[in-house]
Amino acid sequence: MANLARVLGWVGVVAAFILAGAAHAQPVSSNQELIQQQQQRRSEQPGNNAPVWREIRSGQPQFNSVPGRESGVLIVSSGQTWRALRDGPIMRYGGWLLVAVVVAIALYFLLRGPIRLRGKPTGRMIERFGGFERFVHWSVAITFCIMAITGLVILFGKVVLLPLTGHVFLSWLAALSKYLHNFVALLFILSLIVTIITFMRDNLLQAADRKWIATAGGLLGGGEVPSGRFNAGEKGWFWIGVLILGIVVSITGLVLLFPNFDQTRETMQIANIVHAIAAVLFMALGLGHIYMGTIGMAGAYRSMRTGYVDETWAKEHHALWYEDIKSGKIQAKTEQSALGELQRQH
Amino acid sequence: MRPFVLLAAAAALTVFGLAGCGEPEQVVFYEQGKYHGKPDQRPWENAPPAYGSAKWTKGDEASWEQEVKRRTLGQNEYVRIVH
Amino acid sequence: MARMKFLCDAERCIACNGCVTACKNENEVPWGVNRRRVVTVNDGVPGAEKSISVACMHCSDAPCIAVCPVDCMYHTEQGVVLHDKDLCIGCGYCFYACPFGAPQFPQEGAFGLRGKMDKCTFCAGGPEADGSQAEFEKYGRNRLAEGKLPLCAEMCSTKALLAGDGDVIADIFRQRVTVRGKGSEVWGWGTAYGPPKGGQKPAPERSKP
Repeated sequence: MANLARVLGWVGVVAAFILAGAAHAQPVSSNQELIQQQQQRRSEQPGNNAPVWREIRSGQPQFNSVPGRESGVLIVSSGQTWRALRDGPIMRYGGWLLVAVVVAIALYFLLRGPIRLRGKPTGRMIERFGGFERFVHWSVAITFCIMAITGLVILFGKVVLLPLTGHVFLSWLAALSKYLHNFVALLFILSLIVTIITFMRDNLLQAADRKWIATAGGLLGGGEVPSGRFNAGEKGWFWIGVLILGIVVSITGLVLLFPNFDQTRETMQIANIVHAIAAVLFMALGLGHIYMGTIGMAGAYRSMRTGYVDETWAKEHHALWYEDIKSGKIQAKTEQSALGELQRQH
Repeated sequence: MRPFVLLAAAAALTVFGLAGCGEPEQVVFYEQGKYHGKPDQRPWENAPPAYGSAKWTKGDEASWEQEVKRRTLGQNEYVRIVH
Repeated sequence: MARMKFLCDAERCIACNGCVTACKNENEVPWGVNRRRVVTVNDGVPGAEKSISVACMHCSDAPCIAVCPVDCMYHTEQGVVLHDKDLCIGCGYCFYACPFGAPQFPQEGAFGLRGKMDKCTFCAGGPEADGSQAEFEKYGRNRLAEGKLPLCAEMCSTKALLAGDGDVIADIFRQRVTVRGKGSEVWGWGTAYGPPKGGQKPAPERSKP
């Protein structure tokens, strides 16, 4: 299990190196050859400048007296690829994926309703999240929502909002989004790193997770599978969403956020494409997590808000974690809730 | 059962992926004489400047274009060389 | 109906940077921005040195218009690509998409934060009232409204840079190629304006010697 964590950690490092490498990648130099060809042409076929055009096409910077990054490059073809990808598959599939996820969640909610407690609440409360954990969670959650909404405005505003709001309002909204996206980004990355460190230990995979995955956690029926402090669904969100997608989004975002490190346009195009794909997937997974944490499961939101869950909730949703607490393997604070007091009196 | 599911998944993925290969029209192409932008004054809606030799009728597109064409041809030094 | 284009003749450009200077002076462009630049290929190599002056080519299928997230860019009736600085948010997407490196951003504050995009306007100003002070401060001179052409081309000492209706400048170039019998390539036209319509080439093929 520790191996898995190590592998995932490397993914971020490798992604960073690929991007850094792309920044310094130069096409194989055949400059001398082309220069010789051009010199030959001058006597053999004057006016035929094909070798020069080829040299320009290679994208290598040529002499230019205007200072500036890439000012010596006459033409860059990769922008067309970037544009076709962004305005094509990413916007189309990304947009419909998010719509599909929202529709699927809405349908599930309408058909099955929220997951309620089957047993009666005992009134004995167990601490599920400490103060620091809640602080970290809400830091990353709030910044995530700001990043997601501002990102969506910039990616889909022209298609979705422009016909409704007109140019002036959209421009105002997009400018606000740009500044929020740029500045909240740093807070988001910081709280993301702290989140990963804080929650990593309890998200390590266990034997019990296999069964949870095989039955999709009982979401489709068949009763809930016992799980530890976090079930395999939450672990999937942690490893795939928070860790992998979070790190990919952060690194590519930093490449775009600080254009003053002489990265080329090609690097930023690649970073932008990876950023958009990862962000859309991150949001799609995030919607599922937000649903389960708010209206999808009774008691889940209270647990992150107050930190405490009822014993019945723990027994029903995280049986193994509950057993560990009962047997004293895990030390957890307990408390009598006001609700429990009331119930006992009547 | 298992191979069927895999096959169906692969087929769905292929169809989904192929749909991404189509390229929708992303920008309005320039069409001769069609104005796509937001309100902007056209060049010929101004009176020619008081100085200089430019002459056209305010609001008349054809006369403005004639003037610009005259100006453009001024870049051809062959017409200026006396044979 | 005019379709405005730029044409740079690599056989004639002597890299004097007159066009760059003229553009800066005429339009009083923001600090750190160059709307036009001259690139010299094989600089200093005898027999292989060629120079090209490049700015916004005012593409037919303009990638910058396609990717702008606030839709602030537009084509005029003459095919000139203009933008509205009041709407621009400085995201840099036009800069990623442009093949010619035309859109540029003055730095606004720390960490490379981009200000509003600035690029060649074909000396056609912007959506503000033609000839107004506001238009001049944001976009530079509006020479088309004065019946003039971009200054860079009009003052080019070797007439390497031509500007104006695509058909007219192609005619000028065609005559030139016929007289000198060489150098018929017009750089960047395929990318900017697409393949020539009806199989017509912008300039005739050079006759074999």
